[in-house]
Order: sequence, then structure tokens, then C-alpha cells
Amino acid sequence: MIHDYLVLSVILFCLGVVGVFARRNFFTVFMSVELMLNASNLAFIAFARLQQNMDGHVLALLIMAVAAAEAALALAVVILLHKQTGKLDTNVFSLLKG
Amino acid sequence: MLVDLLFTCFAVFSVLGALGLIIFRHPMNGAMSFLVTLVSLAGLYALLSAKLLFALQLIVYAGAIMSLVVFVIMFLNIQPDQLPAEKTKVTYLVAGGVAVTPVAFFLLKVINRLPNMPVSFADEGFGGVKEVGLIFFREWLVPFEIVSILLLTALVGAVVLAGKREKNK
Amino acid sequence: MEHSTFYLGMIPLYPLLGAVCIGLFHVLTCKRWQVPPLVYGLLACVGPAMSFFLALRVFFELRALPLDARFFTYKAFTWFSVGDLHLDMGFLADPLSGLMLLFVTFIGTLIHVYSIGYMSGDKSYAKFFAYMNLFLGSMLILVLGDSPVVMFVGWEGVGLCSYLLISYYSEDRDNVLAGNKAFIVNRIGDLGFVLGMGFLFWAIGSHGFDFLSLKANAHMMTESSILIVCLLLFVGATGKSAQIPLYVWLPDAMAGPTPVSALIHAATMVTAGVYMVARFSFLYVEVAAAGMIVAWIGILTALLAAIFGMFQDDIKKVLAYSTVSQLGYMFAGVGVTAYSAGIFHVFTHAFFKALLFLGAGAVIYVLHHEQNIWKMGGLKKKMPITYCTMLIGALALAGCPPFAGFFSKDEILYSALANGHFFIWLIGVLVAAMTAYYTFRMIFVVFHGQPRDQQAYDHAHEAPLVMTVPLIILAIGALFAGFYNLPAIFGGEQMISHWLAPSVADQHPHDSFLLEFFVIATSVAAFAFGLWVAYKRFGKGAEEPVFTGFARFAYHKFYVDELYDAVFVRPYKAIGAEISEGVEPNMTDAPVTGIARLYMRVGTLVKVLQSGYVRVYAIYMVLGLGIMSFILSQSLN
Repeated sequence: MIHDYLVLSVILFCLGVVGVFARRNFFTVFMSVELMLNASNLAFIAFARLQQNMDGHVLALLIMAVAAAEAALALAVVILLHKQTGKLDTNVFSLLKG
Repeated sequence: MLVDLLFTCFAVFSVLGALGLIIFRHPMNGAMSFLVTLVSLAGLYALLSAKLLFALQLIVYAGAIMSLVVFVIMFLNIQPDQLPAEKTKVTYLVAGGVAVTPVAFFLLKVINRLPNMPVSFADEGFGGVKEVGLIFFREWLVPFEIVSILLLTALVGAVVLAGKREKNK
Repeated sequence: MEHSTFYLGMIPLYPLLGAVCIGLFHVLTCKRWQVPPLVYGLLACVGPAMSFFLALRVFFELRALPLDARFFTYKAFTWFSVGDLHLDMGFLADPLSGLMLLFVTFIGTLIHVYSIGYMSGDKSYAKFFAYMNLFLGSMLILVLGDSPVVMFVGWEGVGLCSYLLISYYSEDRDNVLAGNKAFIVNRIGDLGFVLGMGFLFWAIGSHGFDFLSLKANAHMMTESSILIVCLLLFVGATGKSAQIPLYVWLPDAMAGPTPVSALIHAATMVTAGVYMVARFSFLYVEVAAAGMIVAWIGILTALLAAIFGMFQDDIKKVLAYSTVSQLGYMFAGVGVTAYSAGIFHVFTHAFFKALLFLGAGAVIYVLHHEQNIWKMGGLKKKMPITYCTMLIGALALAGCPPFAGFFSKDEILYSALANGHFFIWLIGVLVAAMTAYYTFRMIFVVFHGQPRDQQAYDHAHEAPLVMTVPLIILAIGALFAGFYNLPAIFGGEQMISHWLAPSVADQHPHDSFLLEFFVIATSVAAFAFGLWVAYKRFGKGAEEPVFTGFARFAYHKFYVDELYDAVFVRPYKAIGAEISEGVEPNMTDAPVTGIARLYMRVGTLVKVLQSGYVRVYAIYMVLGLGIMSFILSQSLN
């Protein structure tokens, strides 16, 4: 049933949110974001199947491309961060502290 | 029946992989675990007759992006003492679970209102390279080009950010 | 339009371009290499000279036109168009502006040439010439403007440039204060001009706001509104032309370099007020009261300034007060509706006053910036050319026949008496005697007798050629300018009066030979009396007097500056201080700072939320999403 796919995508999305919520490790946070993107991809493809319409596939493809761009930049930032501080902690960034 | 069985398998694996991702301390373990999720998702795409995306999920995601991530993790040669000491991780995980519950609840409610249908293999022309490509280049040409520019920008940005820079400049 | 009038716009453009060129050239080169000052001087003379030639062309083209159509206009571009108000950047050449153009550019050019000599050795030579060109350009805009608004552009331009030039020697604080004073006093007058202009527009502006339309529509205004407009405009004129009560800036304006004084006092700025009144003569002639006020203020200013002039010991201040006094005559002239006489006096005055100032400048130059006449003396032998030319200027100023000043002054006095203003005439004659007195007091003290400062005397020499040639040219002008308007009694044709007739609403008195002869006789007698007294007291050399009683009072200019200071400046400052100390912090600032403080308090409270950690923001996002989802899911059932 198509609902099962959608429920699975919700579960994966929530797990991604929890990952961003709970973790400080830069890589884990990054991959949690990727997880959320994948969950949405799954939802798109399920909807595409539901509607018999391939626009969902196209959107999923675009999301993949965006994820790739994001990965490149995020990893570049991680490398910089590691160079600068030797750490992989998102709490290193606190310039916005009020 | 086979389809249901496959779905159950893939679903369980993907959830387990995701759980592993958010629980393992070392990012390498997390990445491996996430890889399981990605591959399972590729399987799910195949079950949904998205042939092109099935292939791309394996090639681009599980292949390219994840290998990049793993490569960077290994390149940085992370020692356990460089990782943040997350002593309150469990508390946060539980709190996150609680915080996210209403979201999940809401989404499930929405899903329940949608029409349901059994998943069978779709028609011959659904989700193939040619069909998706035709839609892509006919109706989604401009977003496609914009995404290509985005990728180029990201490429340049990554080089600028991570590249060596001279001091005092 | 038969002939191109494009060149009309070029007249003010040349000096303005000159100013821009000199300024840019100076800014671009001053860091790297030293440009010889002569380059700037020559560059500066080109613009005025070109304008002068174009002014000649304007003059001759005007003369070729029939008498009743002697004007042409040039619209450079539409300035703005809002509602009823449609304004062009337009220029109008008619006999009045043609005449003004001619001598403004002529004398302006001579002063520029003279400045090459006078300013040699000054370190900001280029700046000086840029300002001078700008000044002349503004004045030409003022003269040529075809609407009050364009005129006002030039009006403000000369105000600005006078400020810049008066405080030119800005190392000395007094000079800067003098510049400030000129600027602020002028601003008071300008307010009157602006109000008058606004009132005029309110009354008849919707039918076109250039002078020709205004003139055509003037009959639509009521008498009282004309009076208001006239008086408001006259307030502007008193500011710019240094009349009571706003004359105080002009003597202080002597702080600037002498060519500037000559330019401000002779040819340009101060005559702007007279010119403006003549320009609006179609309004002034409608209401007799307005003219009377103008005439009385003029003649009283003439009297007051003459009294002050008799007791000054600074050569330039003497001339400054003589200018104020002569301006008073001009206003008396235009006030008694003898507009052509007033403009004629502007014309002759331009020559002899420029001559006197430049001569005084030559004296000051050779004495190394000594301005006190009691330190001079006996310079006749050392500076013969300067002496001769200044003597001509002095005779013209004092109104000795047949020099220029005599005819124009006589014309004004005659018009006053013939139009039935006996007291104005009487004061005018008195002032004429006083003028002769203080003018020759200056001449005798400076050039005659024994040198008072032997060392300075020994170093004195004749001024260089570049300064004396303009003096000689101006002396010729001062000698012969009067003949242009030779009255009928001397067999003349009053060329200038006839020339100006299309532009100004002149009211010619009936020619009366007897009356005219009487006026001339009294004027000459007054001149002779003044000269005689001056000779008696100073002709053979005199010591610096010690002033007592009335003289002391007059020496201190009736303490008018102090009075203004006490009545206007101090209370104004006190009110300002009160506002800045009392009202501002408590009434206007308090709510503002209060709100700022409130925000700061709230900010410090909320600041805690801003931990700066990425994850914390993610948590906020998730919490917000959760709450939103919760609310939405409530409404979903």
C-alpha cells in the first residue's frame, strides 16, 4: 500500500530531525540532513506513483543535485573547521551569541 | 507477496540504518549505517517503479556523495578525542523524539486523509530514463539549468573554501 | 525665432565652465607638480572675456531689434514641471539685462586681469580664481534669468561665492566670522525673496512664472498683495544690497581680498538688489507706498553710511561705507520710480567703485597689506598712476562734474525733487556733501602730506602693469560713462534712459529747466563744500584724530553691531542654548532614548535565547514546527 511508503518517509524524516536535534558531531548532523532529504525524496516518488505522474521523479532528481552541491560545500566547511580548530563540534560556532 | 516482503525488509533496514546514524558516536560508523539506509531506499524506489531514480540513488547518493563523505572522514583521520563529548546524548535523543512527535502525528494524520492504493508494478513507460528525461527537458528545463549553475557555484565555492590560502591575505 | 539665441546660455556657462576647469585642474595637479599661477590666471580670464564678447553681441543684436520688441529668450531645458508650476531654465535678454551684462562682464574681466597681479604669491591661487569665476557665472545667471526662480539660483550663487571669498583668508578666525556674517545676513534677506516669490506665484504664478508673463499678468493682482510682494522682495534686496537694517555685513566683507571687494561692491552682488527692484518695476510702479518705503530706506541708508564713512580709518572700510551709501542712492532712485536713473547709477558706480577698490588694492599691495590710512601718506609721488586714477574715481564718486558719478547722482536727485519728494532730495544733497568730504579725506590722507610710516614709504613703488592697466581702463570709464546719459540740459539725449525704457516702468518727470538747473547747482555746491572742508582739515597732512563725542559714536558705527548682537544674536543663542539644554533632552530626546532603553532592556532579557550554537537554533526550529503541527492537527479533524 502506498501509505506504508509515506509513513516510512515520515519516520525517516523524524529520525533525521532528531539527529539534527540531538547530535553535535558535524558529520552526523550533516548526514541527518541528508536523511531528511532522502525521506522527502521517498515521499515524492511515492506520490509520483500514486498520481501516475513523473514530475515527482524530476523533483527528486533536483533534490539529489542540490544535496550533492550541499555535500560539496558542507564538507569544504568541515575541512576548514577541522583545520582551524581540530574539532568536529558544531558548538564551535557561537559567533551569533547575543 | 514478494513485493510486500521486500518492502518490509527495505523499510526495516532503512529505519535501522537511520537509527544507527543518529546513535553511533563515530561518524564513520554513522556513515556506514547511513549507507544501508540509502541502499534500502534505492530498493524502495525500485518497488515504486522509479527505475531511473533507483539507479541514480545507487550511483549518485550511495556512490558519489557518500563516498565523498567517507573519503573526507578518512582524510581528516578523526581521532576519538577530536569528537565532541556528547554526554547528554541520550537525553537529547529522547527530548528530540518528544519534540518531533507532534510533527509526526500531524503528518500521519495528513497521510491518512490521502487516497490509498496498492502498489503494483506500473506500466512499461513509467519512470524510465527516456520518459523522465523527456519530462525533464520539456517541462523542467529552466530548473534543470538553474540546478546546473548551482552545482557549478558549489564546485567553485568548495574549491575556494577548502583550498589552500596564503597567509595574511 | 529668426536668429539663434543659443549663445545666450553660453554667457553664464563660460565662467562656470572656467570655475569647473580650474578647480578640477587644480585638484588633479596640486599633488604632483607645481603649475605656474599664471596658467590659472589666464584660464580664469578666458571665461569672463568670452562672456564679455557675447554680451557685446547681445547688446548689438538688441539694438538691431525694433524698440517695442527688444528682447529675446533662450530656453536651455525644462527645469521642473509640477502642477501649475512649469519652470524652464531660461534666459532673457532685454535692454535692462543687456546693459547689466555688458558692464558686469567688462568689469569682471578687468578685475580678473587685475587679480593676476594682486594675488601673485598667494598659495591657493587656483582656488581663488575658481571662486571668482563661479561668482561671475552666478551673477550672470542672476542677470539673465528669465524667471524669479532662475534669478534666485544666481542670487544664491553669489551669496555662496561671497561667503567663500570673504572668508578666503581662512587662517584668520575674524575673516571666517565676517564670511559667516555675510552669509547669515544674506540668508535673512533671501527668506524675504523666497516668501515674496512664493506669494507672487500664489497670486498670478499659474499663468506662467517668467518675467514676461508676470509683467503681462500683474494687473490681475490686488493692490495690497502687490504691496506685500514688493516689500518681501525688498527685504531680499536689503540683504543682498546692504540696506538698513541688513547693511552690517558689507563693511565686514572687506575681510576678503581686495579684488573680491571690488567684484562684490562694484559690479556684481550688491547691485543685484537694485537690479531686482528694477526687474520688478512693473510691480513697484503699481503701488506708490512700496516705492516710498524703498526710497526712504535707501536715502536713510545713504545718510547713515555716509556718517560712518566719515570716521573710518581703514581704507577699504571707507570705500565699503561709500558703497553702502551709493547703494542707498540707487534705491532712492528706483524708489521714486526713476528706475533708469537708479540703473544708470549702478552703471557708473560700477566703474568708479571698481576703480577705487582696485586702486586701494594697489596701495594695499605695495604697502604689504597695510590698510590703515593713518599709516599711509604722501604716496602721490611713489604711485603716480594709482594716484591719478584714484583721483578720477574719487571725483566721480564725490559727484564732481563732468565725471560719471555726477550725472547719475544728479539724475536721481533731480528725479526725487521733480517727483515731489523734497526731503529725500534734501538728505541726498547732504549725503553728497558728506560723500565729497570722506572721499577726499581718504585721498588727502593716503596720497598727500608727509609719509607717516617712513619705512613702508621707502619700500613703496608703483604697482605692476597688470594692475595699473585695468585701473587706467576703469578711469577712462569713470570719466566718460556719465556721458551716455547726458541730460537734456547739457544737450544730451539720455541714451541710457531711452535704452532702458522698454524694460523698466519709468515715470519721467516733466522736464523743467529751472528745476534741473537748481538741482545741479546745489549738487555742485555740496560737492565743493565737502571738498573744501576735507582740504581744510586734511589737505596739508593731519595727525590721526582722537574721536570724542558724536565722532566716537559714529566711529563705532553707532554701536549697531553691538545692538544687533544684544537684541538678536545673544537672545537667539540663549534660546538655542535653552532648547539644547532644557527642551531637547527632556522633551524630544526623552521618548526616543526611553524607547531605546526599553528595547535594550527587552533585548538583554531575550539575549539569553541567542546562545549562538547551531544546534540550539535547530532545536528552536523543531519546537516551532512541533507547536505549529500540533495546532494544525487540532484543526484537521
